[in-house]
Amino acid sequence: MLGPLVNVITGNSFQTIAQNTDAAVKIETALKAVGRPAFTLIDKNTDKDTRKYAAAKELLYQLLCFGIYLAIIPPVFKNGGFKLAQKIFKKEGMPAFKNAKQMLAYHHLAYMKPEERLLDKNKKFLDLITEDLTNPKDNNAKLLDYLIGADKKSGIHKKTLEKQGKMFDLAKGSIELSSIIGSVVGLTILAPEISHLILHPIMSALHLDSKEKTEAQPSKTADSVQKNLDKNA
Amino acid sequence: MFIMSSFIYNQLKKTCESLGKHNDALYAVLAIAMFKGVMRPTFTMMDKKSDPKSKKYAAFREGLTEAIAFGSYIATHKMILPLAVPLAKKTGKSPKKVKNGLSLLSVCLTAGIIIPLVCNWTLKPIMDGVTKLYNKKDKKSDGKLDIKENTPQFPTPAVYSPNLNEESKKLLNTVRITSLQNYGMKVGG
Repeated sequence: MLGPLVNVITGNSFQTIAQNTDAAVKIETALKAVGRPAFTLIDKNTDKDTRKYAAAKELLYQLLCFGIYLAIIPPVFKNGGFKLAQKIFKKEGMPAFKNAKQMLAYHHLAYMKPEERLLDKNKKFLDLITEDLTNPKDNNAKLLDYLIGADKKSGIHKKTLEKQGKMFDLAKGSIELSSIIGSVVGLTILAPEISHLILHPIMSALHLDSKEKTEAQPSKTADSVQKNLDKNA
Repeated sequence: MFIMSSFIYNQLKKTCESLGKHNDALYAVLAIAMFKGVMRPTFTMMDKKSDPKSKKYAAFREGLTEAIAFGSYIATHKMILPLAVPLAKKTGKSPKKVKNGLSLLSVCLTAGIIIPLVCNWTLKPIMDGVTKLYNKKDKKSDGKLDIKENTPQFPTPAVYSPNLNEESKKLLNTVRITSLQNYGMKVGG
């Protein structure tokens, strides 16, 4: 039983996702969007109406977070942060990657075995590595040669690439750092503020708020305080 | 274009290189949980529309949720990661790859199942306890001065003034200037 699971988690795709902040946060947010409302619905500590209301609110909030994340992180923080890092670390001799996508494609290919890089499923990544991408620190050697070799059959193995500093950790790390900063800004500052503005109109439009309004009773219990606060949010 | 001290430059370079070599999914989720734990209660407390009692309650609840999330991520990570070596030995895979995979798996497991489950179990009892405590405290110091209960009822000393007529003396003797008495009442501790 454990064999297939280990095969999946050690696969190239899973490994790339595990090393990629953007993908990991997307998965985490999607799981939160499913898990939190589901667990809110099965929580027997609160009454049925409160559960329904809280689950709907949580689902909408997490979907909103996911939308904000998709809209802001890749274009603004991932690419913007990468461009900024290219300017900051100009002296470090990074290859002139056009954008974060190109760098990540190189990293994804460099991570796998040389023979796997030429497979059809990886063609979309290989196509992004254009001939003009060179390494200034290695007599402007072509990055494509590192991956698939001059004869297009053999490439350099990941361990060698790592040893020779041709995985470009600085470039990859700058993308990850800006993605982490972007995730924090997007999910902790923008999402609560935007949800403040649009969550209740959406809930009213879906008639999820109407029952709450009629049932709101001034009470001192923890649930009612939270309910009242949720209404105000 | 960018003026940056060499210390900041070196630290930034070190951080980027370290993240480039090994980026754990845990870093991002921990950063998010930590900042959410600070920012969400702050935003809630800044909301002028909600009443102060509800604000305090919600801010505490939000902070607590994120503290639970932060702790759960670390605990699950610590529990799952030691499985990497035996699993790698059993399946013949690279321990580093198994470790990376398990790390992401632990984050997914925690976000999707463990955090909501722990919150369901613990949040309500903790919040009920805190609300009770808060209400008790609130009753004790709700701003009303319990003069009637605690102040000993001493007879008001008669006003002796030769210049006052009988009517004025009677009137003055009926007025109790309690703020001038030193018994029972404590204002401002």
